[in-house]
Amino acid sequence: MPSIRVVWPWGSGSVNWSSHPSLEICRIGSQKVIELRHITKRFNGVAALDDVSLEVRPGERLALIGENGAGKSSLMNVLYGLYQPDQGEVCFDGQVVKVKTPAEALARGVGMVHQHFTLVPTLTVTENVVLGHEPTRGGRLDLVRARKEVDATCARFGFALDTGAVVRELSVGSQQKVEIVKALHRGVKTLILDEPTAVLTPQEAEELFAVTRRLSDEGLAVVLISHKLREVLSFSTRIAVMRRGKKVGETTPGETSAEKLAEMMVSCAPDVSPRPGTGRGSGRGADPLPIIQLEGVEGLSLDLFGGEILGIAGVDGNGQRELAEFITGLRPWKSGTLRFEGKPLTSWTPRLARDHGITHIPEDRLRRAIISELSVEENVSLGRQTHPPFAKGLRIDFAGRRARTTKLLEENDVRPREPALRAGGLSGGNQQKLVVGRELDSEPKVLVVVQPTRGLDIAAVAAVREKLRAQRARGCAVLLVSLDLDEVLELSDRVIVMYAGKCTGEFARHTYDERTIGRRMLGVVDA
Amino acid sequence: MRKALPSVLSIASAIVICFIAAGLTRGFGTAFDAFGAMFWGAFGDWPKFLETGNAAVILRPLGESGTKAAILIFTGLSVTVAFRVGLFNIGAQGQLVVGALTAAVVGAKLEAPGFLHITLCLAAAALAGALYAWIPAVLKLKRGVHEVISTIMLNWVAVSLVDNWLVVGPLRAKASGDNSISGTDQILPTAELPRLLGETSRLNLGFVLAIIAAVLTWLFLTRFTRGFEWKAIGLSQDAARAAGINVDRGFLEAMMLAGAFAGLGGAVLILGTELKYPASLGAPWGFDGIAIALIGQGHPLGVLAVSTLFGGLRAGGTRMQLFGVHKSFPELMQGLALLLVAAKLMWERLLRKRGTP
Repeated sequence: MPSIRVVWPWGSGSVNWSSHPSLEICRIGSQKVIELRHITKRFNGVAALDDVSLEVRPGERLALIGENGAGKSSLMNVLYGLYQPDQGEVCFDGQVVKVKTPAEALARGVGMVHQHFTLVPTLTVTENVVLGHEPTRGGRLDLVRARKEVDATCARFGFALDTGAVVRELSVGSQQKVEIVKALHRGVKTLILDEPTAVLTPQEAEELFAVTRRLSDEGLAVVLISHKLREVLSFSTRIAVMRRGKKVGETTPGETSAEKLAEMMVSCAPDVSPRPGTGRGSGRGADPLPIIQLEGVEGLSLDLFGGEILGIAGVDGNGQRELAEFITGLRPWKSGTLRFEGKPLTSWTPRLARDHGITHIPEDRLRRAIISELSVEENVSLGRQTHPPFAKGLRIDFAGRRARTTKLLEENDVRPREPALRAGGLSGGNQQKLVVGRELDSEPKVLVVVQPTRGLDIAAVAAVREKLRAQRARGCAVLLVSLDLDEVLELSDRVIVMYAGKCTGEFARHTYDERTIGRRMLGVVDA
Repeated sequence: MRKALPSVLSIASAIVICFIAAGLTRGFGTAFDAFGAMFWGAFGDWPKFLETGNAAVILRPLGESGTKAAILIFTGLSVTVAFRVGLFNIGAQGQLVVGALTAAVVGAKLEAPGFLHITLCLAAAALAGALYAWIPAVLKLKRGVHEVISTIMLNWVAVSLVDNWLVVGPLRAKASGDNSISGTDQILPTAELPRLLGETSRLNLGFVLAIIAAVLTWLFLTRFTRGFEWKAIGLSQDAARAAGINVDRGFLEAMMLAGAFAGLGGAVLILGTELKYPASLGAPWGFDGIAIALIGQGHPLGVLAVSTLFGGLRAGGTRMQLFGVHKSFPELMQGLALLLVAAKLMWERLLRKRGTP
């Protein structure tokens, strides 16, 4: 069984809620407006939130929408006391309040349910709900009373939960209900749900929305963080749209549509004017044969040509990762055919993929690309450890490895230039430079790149992008998967949009329209 | 060298702690004499040698130490190579038992000229151990059975099968005359490992083979690309797989090599000293291998050094009895050293974390 990290958002101390002074202001039904005023929050100089103001009113269902990294969760984390804003203030009923910890947020009636649950799987529903402020009798846990109280809370808000059941045995949807009951049991008046439907089936999602409607009828404010337009339109009474750390608009479901919302979310043009690509196939000869062809591989079809950068656009978790893993041999497929230079592949492993000249810059570098306990030069040899210059016959070629590593560190500006250093001692950016340098060093025919510039500084980003363009000019076929739409649009000769594991649109460089792409990414099909 | 420091310090503190314990129970004078006897018994009575010039007082203890060390080196290497790919081979004992029985049977039943006979016995024992370790490897790859569970259980299977049935049943030596005989038939003289010091000591070719095995393993793990691939597998299966390394094959190969080493350990025990599969194997050599590998910190040469030390202390430990100190003190030291090595690693990690937050 995987170990589960349990975090108590309200701290480990026990609070007697019945006598807590703040209970007066968080009693359900009392009028209270939360205002976030001009909030700015920077991480390492990058503004995650830039002068954002937002109001949360009792009895409303507010949807907070935006792309990945737009700042939705950051803003709510400020309200929940997980982040301290650099500028701006949080007001409860007009009074400025500093919310320093989640415990303080809870005391003021703000609760948050995260995507990753914070339940103890081996305890019962009741035990999970009262954990941290258990009712006691004579110093001993009074489970009978606890269960009665939790049952009362469930009944009050209309939750059908077996409070004696062990959490491990509940469905994901029910576990989420336990999380919500946990917050409600503490007298929460404003409930924040961070992408709650990501883990739910459509039926469970429907049920969740029915529950939230009842909560808002009771006078609670419910905030839903989401990037799914359809559910936002059916769920909310008010919608706030965020883009790149700014709030770009507020609207209501009545006066907007999925198309309009999608436009608001992504309409910002890339800051850097797209450098005109040399066009599809400019770097390759007259050979019209695609290097890689997917023919219905798990329902996915696409062609990848030499001398082009094919960008895959899409919201996280729509099958892009799987696509990269099919091509690199990391994931077997049950249906369809994958062809390499026209020949169908029967068995496909990472070894075979590499032998065919396919290299991979994976998204999760510490999991798949770098072994931090090995030295820099050992990491450079990974993937080609049995080939020159890293090996002489069956033996490791120490001199050749050192020479190639030294050259690679120099060319890719990896600092420090120390081949014997533990790779784990490099900064994240330098590790990524090392991986990019290593994978391009083998002069690949096909390069599968996932999120290549995440976490890099501006100079390094530019360098990586330049290298990808150089590979295209060499005739290499580059498959670029990125959650950053601007990056995809800037680099790609062709863009394919993925939604729910399928290609939902293909755009050539001269014909693509960011708004259409943005809509397709969100699953909106043009009328 | 700095990596060896925790092990050296742990062993030293273990010896000191045991000395204090013996001193408190038996008096420090007695403890001093007993520990002295143990060290002379392990590494030779040098003062006596300088006094009398009799080489046997050095060679005999050293020979006994080497004899015990040889088996520890093999089982220690067994655990070490499996550990390299991230597998914990608790099954060295079972693999050793299987290898030992195979060596005893081939040594007794097969007739061949001297050198060939020994080679055949060793090869058969290594193969038997490798096949016995192949079972948990396949169970892991095909069914996801954790190797710790399967190897532990296969130890009991081997012991039950060999000690409780084959050796007392079908393979038991026929009694000649009135004497009842325990264990299997004696191996033929052609299968006996040649003694290196003649009649002075039981030290045999097994010790040389063990040293060669340790050095070859070290070269393989550090100088060859396959050794590097094993290391990568042990550190990160995901990254190794993405780099095109066949992780399943690595598991299979390392586990079978581990079994082969344990089997060879059993063969050396039979062909070198026991000369038949006895009613009882005496010491839990396979389990000692786990301690040796951990104190040696997964380094083949570390295993060599630690085995030689503890093999020696055990050989010398029997002499402690003359002073009324129990001969199991060396085992106690080994256990304590293991405990301290584990704690040392924890300490290092704690210090490193504090240094770089």
